[in-house]
Amino acid sequence: MIERLIEAARSIASDAPLHDRIAKSTGLSIEGVRFAIERCLETDPSEEEIATLVKNAPRFEKAYVLLSSTVFTAALRAIAVARAGSPSVVVHPSRRAPDFAEALVRAAGDPEITVARDLDIAEIDRGAIHVHGRMETIERIRAVAKVPVLAHGPGMGIAILGADADLDVPSAARDLADDVVPFDQRGCLSPRIAFVLGGKKERAEAFATALANALDHHPVPLGALTEEERVEAARFIQTVSFAGVVKKGTGGVVGLSDTPVLPPTGRHVHVVYARDEARLDAFAPHVTTVGIAGTVDLGIAPEHARVARFGSMQRPPFDGPVDRRTP
Amino acid sequence: MPESFDALACDLARFQRARIAGFDRLCKGIRDFERASDIPCVPTDVFKLTRVATFPEGEETAIFRTSGTTIGERGMHAMRTTDTYDAGALAFGRWALASDLGDRAPLVVSFTVKDADSSLGHMVELFRMQIGGGDGGNVLEGDVFDLVRLDEMVARAAFEERPVLLCATSFALAMFLEALDGEPFPLPPKSRVMQTGGFKGKVKEVEPRELRLATAKALRVDERNVVCEYGMTELSSQFYEATIQTKAPHSVYFEPPWARVVPVDPETLAPVPNGAEGIARIEDLLNVDSAFAVLARDRVMRVGEGFVLLGRASGAPPRGCSIAIEEMMG
Repeated sequence: MIERLIEAARSIASDAPLHDRIAKSTGLSIEGVRFAIERCLETDPSEEEIATLVKNAPRFEKAYVLLSSTVFTAALRAIAVARAGSPSVVVHPSRRAPDFAEALVRAAGDPEITVARDLDIAEIDRGAIHVHGRMETIERIRAVAKVPVLAHGPGMGIAILGADADLDVPSAARDLADDVVPFDQRGCLSPRIAFVLGGKKERAEAFATALANALDHHPVPLGALTEEERVEAARFIQTVSFAGVVKKGTGGVVGLSDTPVLPPTGRHVHVVYARDEARLDAFAPHVTTVGIAGTVDLGIAPEHARVARFGSMQRPPFDGPVDRRTP
Repeated sequence: MPESFDALACDLARFQRARIAGFDRLCKGIRDFERASDIPCVPTDVFKLTRVATFPEGEETAIFRTSGTTIGERGMHAMRTTDTYDAGALAFGRWALASDLGDRAPLVVSFTVKDADSSLGHMVELFRMQIGGGDGGNVLEGDVFDLVRLDEMVARAAFEERPVLLCATSFALAMFLEALDGEPFPLPPKSRVMQTGGFKGKVKEVEPRELRLATAKALRVDERNVVCEYGMTELSSQFYEATIQTKAPHSVYFEPPWARVVPVDPETLAPVPNGAEGIARIEDLLNVDSAFAVLARDRVMRVGEGFVLLGRASGAPPRGCSIAIEEMMG
């Protein structure tokens, strides 16, 4: 049954009219939609990954899957995890961007997976609800649900650049840009802060410059920013201009300082020259993935976080939910 | 003739630009300032990241800190001297809270915090010593009220026919009312309440009007004597409702002559047309050694001679599952 979903994902991956609809509803550029499908849609997972996903899927007699918008490819994994643990699955796509999830369910043709655009949470009296969304949404659902709620809340990725003297900094920056670009950085795997180990400002500045350059020259154009992103971007730029350095280009904004700042989504990354690695700890509860380049002591990554090389942060193994924090 | 606000602001900004490298970076491309609105604003977030001060570390006589966020950041406002802060807080506090009392010093009681680094605690202590008679004090320790002490203080004020000036955070006030459980706790005639701050990070939230009405009823004070104050650690000036001195309605805050609240477009940071909603850019001439213009996270709108607070800026709900800044700040 999981293979059936994978096959469905493969079949819709090249559906051009679907790409257009996704671009329209998510605000991503059409190139951004294609890039996300090409890099993030798991159309070729290994048998071992699928076996692990099935083995660890939470078992319920019925599963309701509530999806969030923008990170449209996440529907595949979310539905697969639910289906692996339940004989019957009801998918409630995001109101704003339902296209991919609906197309996927249609293409899978699995009679035990149905789509419900309207869902009365309070009426659900058996099974479990898998919620993918903001904390506010999760809390709202938890307040009325009579069945277990498995929450997959918001998170973030962080990147760590090792102190290796022979590390190819421009190449690492290009790889990280490939992790920033998908979904215009609105995914929970998207890197927002990059720690440059070693505490050397010059090296961090070289990396920040290279990253700004890589974002500016990235072939996937930035989509439409939300009002909140534009507002927070103005504040981020004003803040970091005071506290450090800002590199603002057409493809994104990179800040640099000795203290971490959480930048807004929409291709904004803050580079920190970390004298004190303990600073990572403050972010740990929110971190879903850690990207690394060079030599990095993995002991500094939160235990629950996935770890990937730069360029692969958005492609974790298809072995369960991307977010390993307790649902 | 006194110098204009603009002239003082520009002098102050030049002074700060020459001494604070970060502010100088923010002024990149600006040759000189001709009016206050030319001066770039410093977001409150900056105070969490770096020191905003015109003088070297070690020369401060006080450091005020903001409450922390879920990632442990606390904003810091270093003061070379608190003299200017104190003079401004007293002058405008006296006007807003006690100018109708003449020579009769109120007994100042507070439900605030005792932390040495709280600017609110500092201000309330100043009120106790300078506006009040030096007696009174704080009766809140953590979440626990010292009701015996409060009773004694209020009884003494009543005996001496002195009004009480109760300074409290909104959260503490709500907690106190809950503890009263509907029972009255009458304060002496002409008593008044200064209410400040919101419910950030607290489980229970009460609407400001509801809290004001409940406070007036429980403490048997005139509703117009329940006055809201708006201030923040990053500033040296405070703003008040003017319901005791004027006929102005509640919810409209007034500035002292040395500060202005300018609603600005959150994206361009340019002033919005009069009557339109914007983010608070606060111009404060008393912020001598830090930042003349501070960009808050509060939405405001000018109304007549004052301004109204419209809540925290949150914008449209973010898309996707990447964590939002507000979610992380707690």
